[in-house]
Amino acid sequence: MKVEANGETLNVSGIKELGAANSQNFRDEVKGALSDKQKNIHIDLSETLFVDSCGLGALISLHKTTCNRNGTVRLLNPTPPVQQILELTRMHRIFEIVNN
Amino acid sequence: MAVELLPASRNVSLRVRLQCDLSAVRPMTALVRIFLQEQHATPDEIQAAELAIVEGSNNAIKYVNGEGRGKDIDVEVVAGPDQIEVRIRDNTPGFEWPAQIALPEGESENGRGLFLINSLMDRVNYFRGRGQNFLVMAKKRNHTGAGSISHSETQRRLNDSESIIRDMAEELSFCYESLSAIFRCSAELGKSNNLEEFARRLLSDLAQITSAEWFVFRTSQNETQLETFVSSEQTILLPALNISETANKSVECEAAVAREDVWFDHLNPLKSGDPLGKILPDSVGLVHPIYMGETLVGTLTIAKSAPGSFTAVQANVVHTFSDFLAIQIVNARFTEEQVRNRLVSRELEIAKTIQRSLLPKTIPRLSGYGLAGFCESAHQVGGDFYDVIKINDDSLLLIIADVMGKGIPAAMFAAILRSLLRAVPEWMNQPAALLARINRLLFEELSGVDMFITAQLVYVDSRNRRITAASAGHCPVLLSLDGDGNIKSISPEGLPLGILPDTSFSNHTETLSRNSRVLLYTDGLTEARNSAGEFFGQDRLIKWFKHSGNARKSAEELKDDLAAELLAFQSTSTLNDDQTFLIMTE
Repeated sequence: MKVEANGETLNVSGIKELGAANSQNFRDEVKGALSDKQKNIHIDLSETLFVDSCGLGALISLHKTTCNRNGTVRLLNPTPPVQQILELTRMHRIFEIVNN
Repeated sequence: MAVELLPASRNVSLRVRLQCDLSAVRPMTALVRIFLQEQHATPDEIQAAELAIVEGSNNAIKYVNGEGRGKDIDVEVVAGPDQIEVRIRDNTPGFEWPAQIALPEGESENGRGLFLINSLMDRVNYFRGRGQNFLVMAKKRNHTGAGSISHSETQRRLNDSESIIRDMAEELSFCYESLSAIFRCSAELGKSNNLEEFARRLLSDLAQITSAEWFVFRTSQNETQLETFVSSEQTILLPALNISETANKSVECEAAVAREDVWFDHLNPLKSGDPLGKILPDSVGLVHPIYMGETLVGTLTIAKSAPGSFTAVQANVVHTFSDFLAIQIVNARFTEEQVRNRLVSRELEIAKTIQRSLLPKTIPRLSGYGLAGFCESAHQVGGDFYDVIKINDDSLLLIIADVMGKGIPAAMFAAILRSLLRAVPEWMNQPAALLARINRLLFEELSGVDMFITAQLVYVDSRNRRITAASAGHCPVLLSLDGDGNIKSISPEGLPLGILPDTSFSNHTETLSRNSRVLLYTDGLTEARNSAGEFFGQDRLIKWFKHSGNARKSAEELKDDLAAELLAFQSTSTLNDDQTFLIMTE
């Protein structure tokens, strides 16, 4: 996983899976990387093939963090299976999902 | 698409056991994914099952406590033709599965697992137990596959279906034709009972249905020979075949020995010397050996000229027809045998009745003498009988006879003999002349059917204490003329009745003394056998007769004695011949 700061935004990419086994680490790592400057988190899901309910929980947890900073979480280019789960659980109503 | 993988037609299952650790969940679902791919599940089916298993397993691990932490979790995935079922056994205390599963409020971090399971799977059941619970989830499978079907694919499937329907219709029409032929021929059989004609009609129908040009149906004789029963070629003589000797050149014998169909065509032609080769050159056909259980009933050969051939459906029709024909033949043979057995036993019954009716109901009395007669019929009843005719107050005629033959004819001759003997009372004191007369009268009838009669006549004159005996080839008369036990065996000369048209008989006269006894008998007595195969024999009979005078018994008592003696001798063997005797005591 790669975490890069870019101005007010923290870019996260290279996530293979987001499930029960790694979601806690993922959450802690991203939150740890946030400096005071950053209020938005962009998460690249183009390499993510699997997300479960724990992964969704971690994404929501990050969403709450950005809300507190008047920022947003953006999900970029999710793969079709992940897109399907996001829609099924109506995450598209919470996150901004961007397909380039 | 030329080839399409389809789900297995039966259930295939994968069982996995994992440690109670979240890091074990994904390696486990990787195995599930491979398994489901092998079972040709669609990507959607695999994704749904995989996520549902992850959610179920995560819960099994997250909510475990106490002893359950050390226990493994079992996951079973069953891929069937219609659904994929997943069973997860966990060791948590369990929980109440909610009646309604709603999506949690937008920003709640938990509670989406059950929602996902419920949304992705078509059926979910949660069975809560003591210390372990089962989550059972099923996903219906989609056979037609995802995505749209192209026009050419639709056309191909349509063509396939049409071809299948055409094959089925052809098979159905063969079945229909077979059935109606079988019914038609069965109805004919009911009318005529001519099995050969029935077989010919049935097989002609078969030939027509299968477009065959000739057939030969042979039946087996004792499983060693094949004889032609019917053939389409009535002008061609087909000799009987010895199965074991001709198996190497006759395709029919070859099939009978191999117990399976043998096909012949240009690649596997009839051998030179095969009688079937005479029928039609370049024939293509098959020989079907017909077995009922282990018994060879016969063979059916059916053929047409090259390059024709029989299809699998036609071969099936051939099998159906020949099996049906075999049943008819076996049944007919069985019925025939039953009828024959019934006729034989009925005939024996009639003969027995006639024979019984010939024996005197009461034996005439002669002052100063006692008389008793015995007649025991064998199973295959013969023509033994005895008679006592009273001539006047002082005389009577003793008769014992054995008609050589069985059944009704023997009984009929016995009846005729009895009447002829009674017809001329004035001849009764001349037994030899009486026998000569009867021989003349009966000769033609007896010799015409190769039968003959042995008879013994004894004229008893009580006033002059004399007996006169004459014999037509019969066993001797035994006489005990004094009380000292001296036995005299007398056998006057004379051929059996029915041997020569003119034959003379001689009279033998003896004078009776006080306490004398006379025994007339048939050879059924002396030829009685015991279980060791020994004959009762004349010596044994004479010995018995010699001692029979000791106790001064009545004729009736002596009869019972001798009957008991015979019974004891042959107690364990069955009667082969009638046993008849007549005893007179003074």
